[in-house]
Amino acid sequence: MTMQQSLSVVLERNTVLSGEFATEPYEAAWAREARWFVRVLEMRGVDAWMEATTQISPDGLHWCDLDGGSVNVRGPGVVSWPVREFGGWLRLRGVVGGDRAAEEGVGAKVMIYLALKS
Amino acid sequence: MDARGAAETAAPSAVDRAAPRPVRELAPAVRWADPRLSRFDPLERILAFDDFNSGTHGWVELLGNYDGRGDLDTVDDHMRDFRPPQLSSCSFFDVGTHGAMSGTYALKVATRPEAGHTAVAIRRLTMAGRGRVQLETYFAYKAEAASEENQAAAQPGSGEWDGNTHPSETQFGAFTIATDICDGVRYHCVARYLNTDHDNRSRQQWVYPLVPEPTPREHLEGKVKLPRTADFTAPDPDDWRPFGEPQELCYNEVPTKVNWHYLRWLIDTRARANVELQVNDRIFDMREVPVPAYAESYGSLQNLLNFYVSVRTNTNVRNFLFLDSVLISVDW
Repeated sequence: MTMQQSLSVVLERNTVLSGEFATEPYEAAWAREARWFVRVLEMRGVDAWMEATTQISPDGLHWCDLDGGSVNVRGPGVVSWPVREFGGWLRLRGVVGGDRAAEEGVGAKVMIYLALKS
Repeated sequence: MDARGAAETAAPSAVDRAAPRPVRELAPAVRWADPRLSRFDPLERILAFDDFNSGTHGWVELLGNYDGRGDLDTVDDHMRDFRPPQLSSCSFFDVGTHGAMSGTYALKVATRPEAGHTAVAIRRLTMAGRGRVQLETYFAYKAEAASEENQAAAQPGSGEWDGNTHPSETQFGAFTIATDICDGVRYHCVARYLNTDHDNRSRQQWVYPLVPEPTPREHLEGKVKLPRTADFTAPDPDDWRPFGEPQELCYNEVPTKVNWHYLRWLIDTRARANVELQVNDRIFDMREVPVPAYAESYGSLQNLLNFYVSVRTNTNVRNFLFLDSVLISVDW
């Protein structure tokens, strides 16, 4: 029996995200399943929140949302969600904002991991 | 018996560790008969054969060092975002999956779309002897195709399409093969294909650095502090020199055709020296190409034998280096 393949990568490392963001495209057509781990180290600003959505692409250039692939985070910690039947490319697209009108200084310091398995 | 009194013997020499003569004589024939190996020209002992249809084989993102608390904010700015390598099916917007030279997957090292950004994948080994060490690979290099989102066609380096040469070719910066070796003295053998200069002018020139790469310890000691997109191998463009005549490679016109090139790079760890570089039909004599060594010693690195490949963009367009497979062989 051939052992299955797995690969975990770090797409963002201690990065402070603010406003709209998208991670770099990641090619993983070999993988049958994927799982995001977003580790929020710190939320900055008043009532800050982060929303992130799984996006997929046929070519790494043109993207659409994957249904059911969203999270909303309001504080430090780890959140995770699975991704299946995604085709060949993955990225996270999202926004970091605040509930107050003034969004100055709002940010989320994150580690973003993608865990893949064949 | 007191373990401290156990006898220690020197590592066996290359001659002692060599396979028996009948096996040595048979090895080339066996390798010729194997289609996976017959396109390589290995030294006596194959240390690693990385076929990326079966995983990354230890090629991993390079990251700078961090403190004892695991605080990644202590990683040098220019060594914290070298991007994870990808197992790529070489898929593109125009034709779908191109595939690799063998099977479907290649190792892809990809930059961000940011001028000066470098992506680095490293493979970590140690040395069980001294002598000749050779890295062979089949590679391809590409700039990212243009899209409405990435606006590559409007970035520096682009230009008019003449029906033959494509503007994206001058949006590819450079790729590098290099080592990090320590036998008491730490040194780097480095070869870089400079496709374009910082002004995105075509150079197609092999170059080498005059200085060893700045290390995290030098930063900690206050000797260097480099910005995020500094060229980590040798930050000052004036510290690079050409070797050999320019070499035109097969970019093949557009950013979505992948033609695999053969590369064979030979060094000598006994002499701490470059030997030669073969890229397709050209062989560059590298024996006179200097190998920068650190004046100071480094601990924790005895017999270090690391290989890395890097790709560096000079414009706001992603650059990709694809490796179909890698074979590392030695004569010890």
